[in-house]
Amino acid sequence: TAGDEKRSRGPGSWPPSCRSKCGWCSPCEPVHVPVQPGMIIRLEYYPEAWRCKCGNKLFMP
Amino acid sequence: LFSPFVHPLTEEGQALMSIKASFNNMADVLHDWDDVHNEDFCSWRGIFCDNSSFTVISLNLSSLLLGGEISPAIGDLRNLQSLDLQGNKLSGQIPDEIGNCADLTHLDLSDNQLYGDIPFSISKLKQLEFLNLKRNQLTGPIPTTLSQIPNLKTLDLAQNKLIGEIPRLLYWNEVLQYLGLRGNMLTGTLSPDICQLTGLWYFDVRGNNLTGTIPDSIGNCTSFEILDISYNQISGEIPYNIGFLQVATLSLQGNRLTGKIPEVIGLMQALAILDLSENELVGPIPPILGNLSFTGKLYLHGNKLTGPIPAELGNMSKLSYLQLNDNQLMGRIPNEIGKLEHLFELNLANNHLVGSIPHNISSCTALNQFNVHGNQLSGSIPLSFRSLESLTYLNLSANNFKGSIPTELGHIINLDTLDLSSNYFSGHVPASVGYLEHLLTLNLSHNQLYGPLPGEFGNLRSIQIIDMSSNNLSGSIPPEFGQLQNLMSLILNNNNLHGKIPDQLSNCFSLTSLNLSYNNFSGVIPAMKNFSRFSAESFLGNPLLCGDWLGSICRPHIAK
Repeated sequence: TAGDEKRSRGPGSWPPSCRSKCGWCSPCEPVHVPVQPGMIIRLEYYPEAWRCKCGNKLFMP
Repeated sequence: LFSPFVHPLTEEGQALMSIKASFNNMADVLHDWDDVHNEDFCSWRGIFCDNSSFTVISLNLSSLLLGGEISPAIGDLRNLQSLDLQGNKLSGQIPDEIGNCADLTHLDLSDNQLYGDIPFSISKLKQLEFLNLKRNQLTGPIPTTLSQIPNLKTLDLAQNKLIGEIPRLLYWNEVLQYLGLRGNMLTGTLSPDICQLTGLWYFDVRGNNLTGTIPDSIGNCTSFEILDISYNQISGEIPYNIGFLQVATLSLQGNRLTGKIPEVIGLMQALAILDLSENELVGPIPPILGNLSFTGKLYLHGNKLTGPIPAELGNMSKLSYLQLNDNQLMGRIPNEIGKLEHLFELNLANNHLVGSIPHNISSCTALNQFNVHGNQLSGSIPLSFRSLESLTYLNLSANNFKGSIPTELGHIINLDTLDLSSNYFSGHVPASVGYLEHLLTLNLSHNQLYGPLPGEFGNLRSIQIIDMSSNNLSGSIPPEFGQLQNLMSLILNNNNLHGKIPDQLSNCFSLTSLNLSYNNFSGVIPAMKNFSRFSAESFLGNPLLCGDWLGSICRPHIAK
């Protein structure tokens, strides 16, 4: 999950590093993706989460 | 052996025919469900059978516009692992017999018109991993027994009419990953137990009637990626411990939160969206929020925030939405806003901001919407605005701006709204505005503009509203206005316009609101094409104008 590096001590968070999260694909970088599971109608506003992206493929951080 | 006369349909085949019979299947999308002509139900639409046992393991009839009800016979499909009926028009209740499908792992009945309670029997489905009942008309409480489904990973009950509290036991599910309860009528408080959901990444209770405070223990919810508790009645202060969350989306808007924005939020660099809008937050915007260099959307509007807009916000280099409107912010718009090259929407309306618009706002080349309505901003419109080519919405109304309207505004070709009303703009209305072919609303009212109405306005083929009232405009209404086929509202009162009202105006078939009062129009009001639909109020205060109303100079001649 987001913030692996900075866990445990003190408050605060950091985007995922995505280090080796895209398999052999590179570069692997964190991106915001909208989360609207099973949505038919686009909401005016929907939440976003971090995923790791390489090319046009998304991977779990 | 395969003759229908000696081979009666199996129990499952009969169940399927009962299921079909309780649908009212308008388009006959299940015509191949026909035990007379083809008793091999494994080949029927939407059915998948086990390769060896030839029993139904999956039934997928999603998005087929099926009406009617779900037959209790569904419970006879004992080996069913997946049932997907989402996106139909099914009504009636979810049959209790569904609890007999003991192998179900995937159950999706979302987007139907199912009503009644969620049957307790669902908790008998010990293999269930995915339960989606979103967007139905389900009532009653969330069954506490749902917590007895050991493998449930996704529970989506959003957009129903569920009441009562969120069962506390639900929070002790260690495998649950997704909890969607948005848009119900749930009550009670956010239990400190929510952080027992150690596998949960999606927590959404937006739009319910939850009360109480955000528990201090919230910081233990470290698996959450999305926390949306917006549009409830949550009160109290935002706890310091919120800073321990690792969320990408933190939505607290539309509650009754009080106190200051905790500085610790500025350390939450994993935030993609921070929405604290529409609460009762006070105090300043912490400059440390400028640390959030990965945040794309910052919504703080509709609070009681005071103090300046921190220049540090210019460090939020990924920001695309910045809404600080409807607060009590003071001081100037910081030049550093110009550093936000991805900024798409900037809304600073209804604050107490002073000074001029920074020239380097023109560096925000992605800017689409710019709203500073209702401040005390002054100075003139920076010429650099013309480089804001993506702008579709520009609202500078109700400030103290002065000077002329720059011709260059007419080069912002994508504008659909241009509102410069209630300022001290003077000079002529530039003809270039007439070339904004996408313009829907033009409001230049309550300024000190003079000179003629440009005939070029006849090119505003999309325009719906023109309000130029309360200026010093002179000359006559150009006949080209008759080309405006989408014009619904033409408001020109309180100017010095004169001459005849052009007959061409009667070609504006969409026109429903017309105000030409308090000018110096003369002649006869056009009589053709239903122009008489406008009452005398549209024409008051034009002493030389002849129309069909009491006191008009020519009333006796037009009598009908």
